[in-house]
Amino acid sequence: MKHERLISSLHEYEKRMLKLLKDKKELDVEEIAKITNLPKDSVEKATLWAKLKGVVDTREEVTEYLELTDEGLTYAEEGLPEKRLLSLVNDGLTSIEELKKRVDNFHVALIWVKKNGWVSISEGRLAMTPTGKNALMMKTPTEKVLSILRLGRRKVSEIDPSIAETLRRRGLVKVRKSVKKTVYLTKLGKEIAPRIRIEEEIVQLTPEILKNRLWKKRKIRAYDVTIPVATTHPGKRHFMYQAISYIRKIWLEMGFKEMTGPILEVSFWNFDALYQPQDHPARDLADTFYMKIPESGALPEEEIVEAVKATHENGWTCNSTGWQYKWDPEFARKCILRTHTTSLSARTLAVLRKDIEQGALPAKYFSVGRVFRNETLDWKHLAEFYQTDGIVVGENVNFRHLLGYLKEYYAKLGFKKVRFRPAYFPYTEMSTEAEVWNPEHKEWMELVGAGIFRPEVVKPLLGIEIPVLAWGPSLERIVMDKYGINDMRELYWNDIKKLREIKMWVW
Amino acid sequence: MPIITVEKEYFCKLIGKDMSIQEIEERIPMLGVGWEGKDGDKFYVEVFPNRPDMLSVEGLARSFSSFIGVKTGLRKYVAKPSEYLVKVDSKVSKIRPYFVSCVICDIDFTDEFIRSVMQLQEKLHITHCRKRRKVAIGLHDLDKITFPVVYTTKTPDFKFVPLEQVREMSLEEILKELPKGREYGWILEGAKEYPLLHDTRGVVLSMPPIINSEDTKIEESTRNVFVDITATDRKAANEVLNIIATTFAERGAVLYKVKIKYPEGIVHTPVLETRSMSLNPGYVNGLLGLNLKNHEIIELLKRMGFDGLEISKDKLEVIVPCYRSDIMHPIDLVEDVAIAYGYEKFEPEIPNIATMGEEEPLEIFSERLRNLLVGYGLQEVMTFILTNKENLFTKMNMKERPVAEIANSKTTEYSVVRNWLLPSLMEVLSRNKHHEYPQNLFEVGDVVILDPSDETGARTRRRLAIVLCYSKANFSEMKSMVESILKNLGIEGYEIEAFECPCYIPGRAAKFTIDGKTLANFGEVHPSVLEKWGLEMPVTAAEMSVDILFEIIEKSKMKSRD
Repeated sequence: MKHERLISSLHEYEKRMLKLLKDKKELDVEEIAKITNLPKDSVEKATLWAKLKGVVDTREEVTEYLELTDEGLTYAEEGLPEKRLLSLVNDGLTSIEELKKRVDNFHVALIWVKKNGWVSISEGRLAMTPTGKNALMMKTPTEKVLSILRLGRRKVSEIDPSIAETLRRRGLVKVRKSVKKTVYLTKLGKEIAPRIRIEEEIVQLTPEILKNRLWKKRKIRAYDVTIPVATTHPGKRHFMYQAISYIRKIWLEMGFKEMTGPILEVSFWNFDALYQPQDHPARDLADTFYMKIPESGALPEEEIVEAVKATHENGWTCNSTGWQYKWDPEFARKCILRTHTTSLSARTLAVLRKDIEQGALPAKYFSVGRVFRNETLDWKHLAEFYQTDGIVVGENVNFRHLLGYLKEYYAKLGFKKVRFRPAYFPYTEMSTEAEVWNPEHKEWMELVGAGIFRPEVVKPLLGIEIPVLAWGPSLERIVMDKYGINDMRELYWNDIKKLREIKMWVW
Repeated sequence: MPIITVEKEYFCKLIGKDMSIQEIEERIPMLGVGWEGKDGDKFYVEVFPNRPDMLSVEGLARSFSSFIGVKTGLRKYVAKPSEYLVKVDSKVSKIRPYFVSCVICDIDFTDEFIRSVMQLQEKLHITHCRKRRKVAIGLHDLDKITFPVVYTTKTPDFKFVPLEQVREMSLEEILKELPKGREYGWILEGAKEYPLLHDTRGVVLSMPPIINSEDTKIEESTRNVFVDITATDRKAANEVLNIIATTFAERGAVLYKVKIKYPEGIVHTPVLETRSMSLNPGYVNGLLGLNLKNHEIIELLKRMGFDGLEISKDKLEVIVPCYRSDIMHPIDLVEDVAIAYGYEKFEPEIPNIATMGEEEPLEIFSERLRNLLVGYGLQEVMTFILTNKENLFTKMNMKERPVAEIANSKTTEYSVVRNWLLPSLMEVLSRNKHHEYPQNLFEVGDVVILDPSDETGARTRRRLAIVLCYSKANFSEMKSMVESILKNLGIEGYEIEAFECPCYIPGRAAKFTIDGKTLANFGEVHPSVLEKWGLEMPVTAAEMSVDILFEIIEKSKMKSRD
């Protein structure tokens, strides 16, 4: 049936208003309120809803009313000050000095008795004029207006404009605008009004209604589903943790085993075990957080320490020249905050050496963890951030496999185009930097350092020399790109409004 | 890492091929040089620390020319014998023991070449020379020097006229007053006498590693140069010398050896002889996943400035030029073969290696816990592990406890590693005062606890912290939540007791324990703490030990398996 949905969406108030208007043609809001016995706000609201649905329209008339101010009301009740002054003069009190004490607002009163020509003044005394005498006998037009207004406001048009103006200037009356909203049916309203029946409706379903099965008898009112509602904030995972979960999943799916370990680390695992010479610039105070407490830690078993020392000094049995300097175990013992999670890869190789004979190889490991750099924070530098390291240890792995894993990793993050360029890291050879094509910004993004661990890294730790593919991309650039974040600090700023609004990780 | 400026016209002249900047931009990164941009007819590249030989435009051009196939193969350099003599006094042995040198004659000093040499010296000083601490370089006008030269030390009151100065200054004044003295003086800290180089007449050449003298400085008319290199490391000194000498040789200058007389014997520098290294083609192909024939490998090596000979089917002999000190192991040759082959030509491939993916159990548990917490309608946050004592203790009403401390942080904001998690969440609340409440947050994150029994002197520990912040936040709600978490984790047999802690309101804090171990503490945060964080909204908080929860659960899993 035509209009049925419209009728059923009407609120009970709207229905009552429409029925009323069917008979009366048009009514103002106050009249409707009076007749229906509804609060004026409810009628206003119902009018608004009905207007939005196109069943009524409104016309507004603006009327200007005069009403008394507080001062005006006082004078209306107690008389004007000039009248009081005049009656005192009439009583024989003529000295200005004396009158001043007896009359409130004496100066105002004096101005008006003079202006009206009720008194004459000489030598500080007032003398009543005949006009004054007359005035005392009757109400002035001004007083008449005040007493009319005392009964209630009047339309501006009903009052003598010159008197109204005088009173307004004296601050005794003010003009107030009043809007009268007249409501009438539209064509659509006229069509549906005859069909409206008012019955008791169920607004909120309650256990009571269900128990009594009242819903069988009564209608459940339909809502206007388009009306805006309050915002809901879910309990939500932080987007960085969501990204980390996803990245862990990528490695797990490819058969990698997770490695974890200390964030406060001994230099040995972060640098020396990775064949970084002790005077390497990366070990500078400027880049690395060195610890005051605890200042230094312990080195691992002697076999590994001796091998690392010899490798640095003369290449040990690695068929290498080594760095050719005197390796200092004290320097290797210094505690730091790990500068990369490659420290975990080094630790893992040292653990694997014991299990090689039990068939531990080939092996694949990954880690996701916090790393630290002694940086001053700005939009592209943080003192701590995330890195995900991976290693593949196997007799037959090669450089193409390294590129293969990296390509797969970025493909799973949605970057289909990857290119590889030569790079340098002290602990890898082939070293490469991968860049992915960002189709949105149409540019290459440099994302990861990777390579094959040098024999000088692998042999002292693992005990044998076999290829170990290794990489260590940071996470922040990817997450920033996915979320369109330009300032790296924002990732850890925890602005609650932003956290509530940010979408879920969908890659 | 150092960035060098290259003038394109000069570069093309050196490589022997005319190329546009665009063509260079495309090719040069594939050699292992970072492209840093261009500006008119200049471009900028980043040289990696393993290749200091490319810090001069001439050295860069030498490598690039081979790489693009214009001038491939080994470059041979010769230094002629000579009678130039430098005597090294035993007094230098304790402060800066090594001296190497070279005489370079008939130099054609064009403007471009002068700029390149200055740039080379500056960049070497920053990088390979470790800010002059390890190695320092001085160049002098040979014709102003009367041999033999003496490398010795002098007392701080010894005087000479330093470079660009008009009066004599004492060594002490130089260190205190001249910019170079202040910049590099730290290298000589603690020394009673300072290194000094003078000629047989007493004319000073330099005060290494600080400054040269005005008397032997290089001028427009200079054609012959004496190179003075002092060092704390003999190997690095020779590497730097070879890079400088071969750079001049590339421009046609003639090199002469210098005789250096140490108390214990005589050496001649520079040593420009090549080295040879044997390389197994199977090793190359195995690591690269390629099938290169021996002659192809040799061809690729030539593109990187080496020479190669096939000794047998399984053995190549590779001739390494003197300026490639980065070649430590055959693996370094393999990388150069890969670069010459072209990284862009390698086909990525996933190997067929069957391994099982496996998560760390604590990580699995942490993820489960986080997902449970989201179920309480809490917003997860992620905060920094680094913080300061003010946040950890003062603002929490806590007495200072020992905590892992950083020795050299650039910012006071990050001076310690947090040892509990709650302050991080309080900081988040204090930053979000202008946003809608309730603000109910959690984080499962790491803290570091000092522990002398651990090899690192500390242990990384996992914690959970929760804050409920809104007008009606209260103890019961948090108690109910913590209890609910324990129940959902299947933890039984815990006990509750009152907990005294200055960060909580007395009588409104408690802890859950099991066998004397604290699982969680929680309570209404003390108003004075709220005030210190600038909060005008009640907060109830909890901190739980994730490791202990995890251990208990693991133990009970074991038990149920038995």
